[in-house]
Amino acid sequence: MEFTLIKFIFIFGVLHSFIYLSFALGFSLVFGVAKIPYLSYAGLYTLSAYLMHLLLTKAGVPTIISAILSIGAVGGLSIVIGDYIVKPSMKNPLSIFISTMTVSYIVEEVFRIKMGLTPVALPALRGVITIAGVPVAQQWIAVLIIGAVSSFLVLIYLSKTATGKSIRAVAESWYESMIIGINPYKVFRVTMLIAGLLAGVASISLSPLKAVVPSMGWSPLFVSFAIVILGGMGSIKGTVVASFIYGFVEQFVTWKYGGAFASIVPLALIVLVLIFRPTGLFGEKE
Amino acid sequence: MFRQKTVADKVRENLLGIIVLLILALLPMRANDFLLDTLVRTYIFVILAVTLDFFSGTTGYLNLGHSFIFGLSAYLTGILYVYLKIPTEIAILGAGLLGTFGSLALLLPSLRVRGVYFAILSLLYPIIFIGIVTTQPFSLYLGGEGGLRIKQLFLDIARKLPPTERLAFLHNAYYYLSFILMVASFIVLYKLAYNEFGFKLRSIGQDEELSEAAGVNTTNMKIKGFLLSAVFASYAGALYAGMRPPITVDFVNTGSILLPTLTAMIVGGAGTIIGPAIAAFLLTLLYQYLWGLVGLWRTVAYMIILLAFVLIRPQGIFFDIYLRIRRLVDKVIG
Repeated sequence: MEFTLIKFIFIFGVLHSFIYLSFALGFSLVFGVAKIPYLSYAGLYTLSAYLMHLLLTKAGVPTIISAILSIGAVGGLSIVIGDYIVKPSMKNPLSIFISTMTVSYIVEEVFRIKMGLTPVALPALRGVITIAGVPVAQQWIAVLIIGAVSSFLVLIYLSKTATGKSIRAVAESWYESMIIGINPYKVFRVTMLIAGLLAGVASISLSPLKAVVPSMGWSPLFVSFAIVILGGMGSIKGTVVASFIYGFVEQFVTWKYGGAFASIVPLALIVLVLIFRPTGLFGEKE
Repeated sequence: MFRQKTVADKVRENLLGIIVLLILALLPMRANDFLLDTLVRTYIFVILAVTLDFFSGTTGYLNLGHSFIFGLSAYLTGILYVYLKIPTEIAILGAGLLGTFGSLALLLPSLRVRGVYFAILSLLYPIIFIGIVTTQPFSLYLGGEGGLRIKQLFLDIARKLPPTERLAFLHNAYYYLSFILMVASFIVLYKLAYNEFGFKLRSIGQDEELSEAAGVNTTNMKIKGFLLSAVFASYAGALYAGMRPPITVDFVNTGSILLPTLTAMIVGGAGTIIGPAIAAFLLTLLYQYLWGLVGLWRTVAYMIILLAFVLIRPQGIFFDIYLRIRRLVDKVIG
């Protein structure tokens, strides 16, 4: 493999990994706390991009404010989903699966009907800079910073604040955390809020580089799932390490074999991990 | 449901079924073309609901890749026709079989995982299938967004008929083909679901370790149950592809294929086979006639029904209604 290819893979691997980390963290937290796959994540991701587009074009709100508004709206919606859709059927994993998935499909279908399949564009930073001979769009730098800052903030929040620590406690054991006086439902709502916000942040920063289409949310959802499976269920450390492994593997496949094969990476990775190490890299045995 | 059936019970139970099937079998004499067309689609969804329920409703392994099986055999029909120049009629027969074996690509990696993991893994298949079909270089060979064009089923025979009879012939032929496939899959899976085979599957759904301890070879049962469900689903896919070319990603689309099926399974009552069949029949008919009323929003209406049932009444409703009607019929007959 020649040196240029390695450079491309390395630089784009780093650029992708941080933003993957930021949205995989939200998915991973919900997975850890509530032991459910948060499939509405795809819907939230799509919703925030379209919401920002609508605020910009229909209401004429300035870019920064519409970004903040749509991220906040998605975060709030995530709490509502947690309260009215996830909580009532928490005991039955299959119901939860169907209901959270349906939310994503409703979002997809509504935008398919209202906005059509033509991609819409979100404002991006124009211009290209060159890093070590590799041309990189300036928006990618913004994505890198936003991804790194948001995941760093969440990690700090989890390790330093009382609520963050209680999130980790509930992820460890729902019932034992109740014994030591934590209200798991409160923690669950905070987790849903964080997950919603992270989905919004990732979507707003990443979608200017990709097409905003009704089905855009599924790919990040599967990437998150692949990362969480690879890292081990509910393990924060595992999620961090797996995000980087995933980012580099995906970029390697993309640059070496082409984008069509990159879409198979999540499936292949999940299947391999489940066959050879079902608990993931840092997961504990059930 | 689980009581010992006497001979009289069996006659009565079958009486209701026979009456319904007779009405449906004689329908083409009276019905217009639109209704026949709608019913073809309805029967395909009944097959999908019954097959999904036979595996997922009983074992509790939620197979969200059901549309993958359906679409895979549809695409195989197209590939056999386009690249091997096999006539559509024979391509359907071959594709159904190949699709059944192809569905093992979904099952075998998933055998090690349970519950939620199985569901997610299976959900990935149709979405990645669509991704492959619509991106280069594969889209060049598989028709991309426009789809694979194949010659419609029985078109050669229809061309030999006088022009006025052609459409009627095609409508009737499609109607009876899908009707026969539906009846066959329903009877086979219903019988299996309520004898020892079905109870073994149900025991996996109750508690897999316990069922293994009781002497059920769970892996073996899962493979058998899945293949039985896949064989009818993939023949339905191949047949539908032959009847409604071109073959596009709509055959694989989770939103248009899986969600109505899943709704039928939940609304009908998971694991009861007959409940999902009734639900799929009524809901698909409703769906077709809702077109005028809600237009494009009917898919959203479907999903809201699904969501409401999952949250409020996860045990479904049509199986209960069916039991009540049967009790009523029992009373009337005496």
